[in-house]
Amino acid sequence: MSNTTVSVPQASRLRLKIGPRQLLTAVFAAVGAGAVFLLFNAIIGGQCDSQCVIGTLNQSVRYAAPIALAAYCGLMCERAAVINIGIEGMMLMGSMVGYGVNVYAFTWMKQNGMDAATAGDISRALALGLAVVSSGLLALLHAVVSIRFKADQIISGTVINILAVGLTGYFYRQYLAQNIPPGPGTFPPFDIPLLGQIPLLGAIMFQGQKPIVYFMLVATLLIHYVLFYTPWGLRTRAVGENPRAADTLGVNVYRVRYINVLIGGLLAGFGGAWFTLEAVDVFNPQMTNGLGFIGLAAMIFGNWTPFGALAGALIFGLGNTINTTVSIFRPDIPSQIPQMLPYILTILVLTGFVGRAIPPAADGQPYEKQ
Amino acid sequence: MSSLVEERAPQTAGRAARLAMLDALGMPLLAILLAFVGGALIIWATSGDFGTVLAAYEGMISGAFIKTRGFSETLVATTPYIFLGLGLAIGFKAGLFNIGAEGQFYIGAISAVWAGIVFTGLPAILHLPIVMLAGALGGALWAGIPGFLKARTGAHEVITTMMMNYIAFRLTEFLVSVPLRDTLSSAVQTLRVSPNAELWSLWQIPQRLSDRLNALAVAIFFAALALALARWFVARGDMATRLTLSRRRVVVGGTGLAVGALAFFGLPALTQVWWPFSDQYDRLHIGIVIALAAAAAVWWLMYKTTLGFEMRTVGANPSAARYAGINISRNILITMALSGALAGIAGTIEVLGVSICRCLPLFFSSGYGFDSIALALLAKNNPIGIVGGAFLFGAMRNGADLMELNSGVSKYVISLIQGLVLLFVAAPSMVRYLLRMRAARKIEEEAPLTRGWG
Repeated sequence: MSNTTVSVPQASRLRLKIGPRQLLTAVFAAVGAGAVFLLFNAIIGGQCDSQCVIGTLNQSVRYAAPIALAAYCGLMCERAAVINIGIEGMMLMGSMVGYGVNVYAFTWMKQNGMDAATAGDISRALALGLAVVSSGLLALLHAVVSIRFKADQIISGTVINILAVGLTGYFYRQYLAQNIPPGPGTFPPFDIPLLGQIPLLGAIMFQGQKPIVYFMLVATLLIHYVLFYTPWGLRTRAVGENPRAADTLGVNVYRVRYINVLIGGLLAGFGGAWFTLEAVDVFNPQMTNGLGFIGLAAMIFGNWTPFGALAGALIFGLGNTINTTVSIFRPDIPSQIPQMLPYILTILVLTGFVGRAIPPAADGQPYEKQ
Repeated sequence: MSSLVEERAPQTAGRAARLAMLDALGMPLLAILLAFVGGALIIWATSGDFGTVLAAYEGMISGAFIKTRGFSETLVATTPYIFLGLGLAIGFKAGLFNIGAEGQFYIGAISAVWAGIVFTGLPAILHLPIVMLAGALGGALWAGIPGFLKARTGAHEVITTMMMNYIAFRLTEFLVSVPLRDTLSSAVQTLRVSPNAELWSLWQIPQRLSDRLNALAVAIFFAALALALARWFVARGDMATRLTLSRRRVVVGGTGLAVGALAFFGLPALTQVWWPFSDQYDRLHIGIVIALAAAAAVWWLMYKTTLGFEMRTVGANPSAARYAGINISRNILITMALSGALAGIAGTIEVLGVSICRCLPLFFSSGYGFDSIALALLAKNNPIGIVGGAFLFGAMRNGADLMELNSGVSKYVISLIQGLVLLFVAAPSMVRYLLRMRAARKIEEEAPLTRGWG
């Protein structure tokens, strides 16, 4: 059993380190991004000016949000050694609940004489909250099945995915497929006052985004801080690397795992809500389209760190944006071909052609208290 | 997963074996029962009327078995489930959690359609095997890629197979709507496969068999089946000692020849005189027979061949397998390819035997591949269990439409019940907890399917 061997966490996992290797990576990334852009511009016939570049990057951040949140969900779980492949299902649940609550709460409030603007604000907030809670409940199920009943974590995650398809499909067909009352629509975009003024970066990240995107950016910092600078983070990482040793030192392994999986589920709920409360104002049962799994790839790409995962998510977001732009400018290219690219990229990430990754040592192993 | 232990049980003690049997059979049945109870609770909670629950389940049963062609439609839906369940079970037994059956199913279907379109003028005895092979190869290739990546780089199959699913959906969509599209049809669908590549519906059989070559194909199938059975029969303990090797060969060969000849001359004549299937709207096709044969073949492969033993060993304990000199990479690749081939055949059969246009339409709804994950785990990867489970899943799928019509309960409740089945199968200790049951014996540690992403 590998959980009896003591593993030393690498320095790079503990804090952001800027050395020659990181600089080299950054240079490669910049060159790669430049090459991608030139190719992209050639495909659409040189129609992308500087305004369009900023717009593209701004949209990439938007598309990166659900992937990053999925990745953070995976990150929180796996740092405590619980593999979570049910993220896809949790997000689907979040997006269904978000949409349903948004529409029906709005209708109910309007019928009771509230004005449309206030009702819209309240119902969107309520929808976001319940989306997060519903996803958290699924995460709790995953936690109970895999921690308390020690089922195989991959199978437990699959259970979550299948259950989520069943539940969302059931409610969709029963209440959300036809005769839906008019809803209040998605969250309105807004600018962040000071950060939005930063040249370039402000226009890309902090202007015209919607709340969940901003939440995702804040969550990156928060998770980084919690994981690497607080006692809770230390315990989490200890449980992920060597639960026996952590237990010996008085850490409640089960409690740490439960709470981390729950936090992960809440994060996935935000990711799910993004689909119906930010991206589009409809729900369909295939909405999440594998983004939960792509999030896991972003997490692996980022070597189980929040900033790394964000970088991975941004790459996928950029890929998605380029797809959409290409399909607008070049309707002659069959849209299915560029649509395959994110999935191919995910496979490349996993094979280690893009970035090498070391998972937490105890990842995926149920813990048996002695 | 603890199969190596289970197999030794019958020799040691009858009581232990009976308990193991009870556990192997009882737990899945309990899981199914609990899942239906769970489904009922959800219907009750959302409709607020217990009558709806009864109407829903009553509708499901009559849709699956009682209504006109209900039972044969159930068997139509059972067929792909058998193939997919077998494919996934092979993977699970060898420790590979292939969740890409859905994509392999689509690629199998489109490969078969391609082979059905490009070859023309071939007799069915050649064309049908060719399209089947094309479907199997397509599926094998599609699953082989994640297998190769796992063997070479360690990329975890759970994510790669899932990603291959999405690539398969887009690729199929592209192939259907551009290169293989039937431009004369108003619907977006592929060209129709050549009539000789179609899988025979049961009502067509008398007419199909009147062709000598088709009769020969059927005769070969039955002769092969008889050969396999006879070989198994004479190799059993008392027979093996009573007969010499050459005698056994004569018996086996003779049986095969006799059955083949009987089928070749007898079946066409018999079906002309008497054939119970005449309903031209009945979609039941010979795929179900092929599926049952495949289940037997997979059982034989897993439990009676060196390859199967190696696969099970790798699944049960990869380190031990490596020390025993088993080539793990090769095993992963073969397992994934076989798993994908079976899924590909499922897609082939669906498109050649069930699809009304005998082509692949753009909106080719499946979901079979995802359901089969629950199916294979419910059956504990046992081929016989898979046939039973496939029948249950086929019945549920087929009964769902009438259930929705009769009771207004969304047919997605089926996925919900299947999810619950999987939940209870995945965590047997949860079932014991829910029912306040005590474990009949010390449960052996089940080796986890997964070993991290490393």
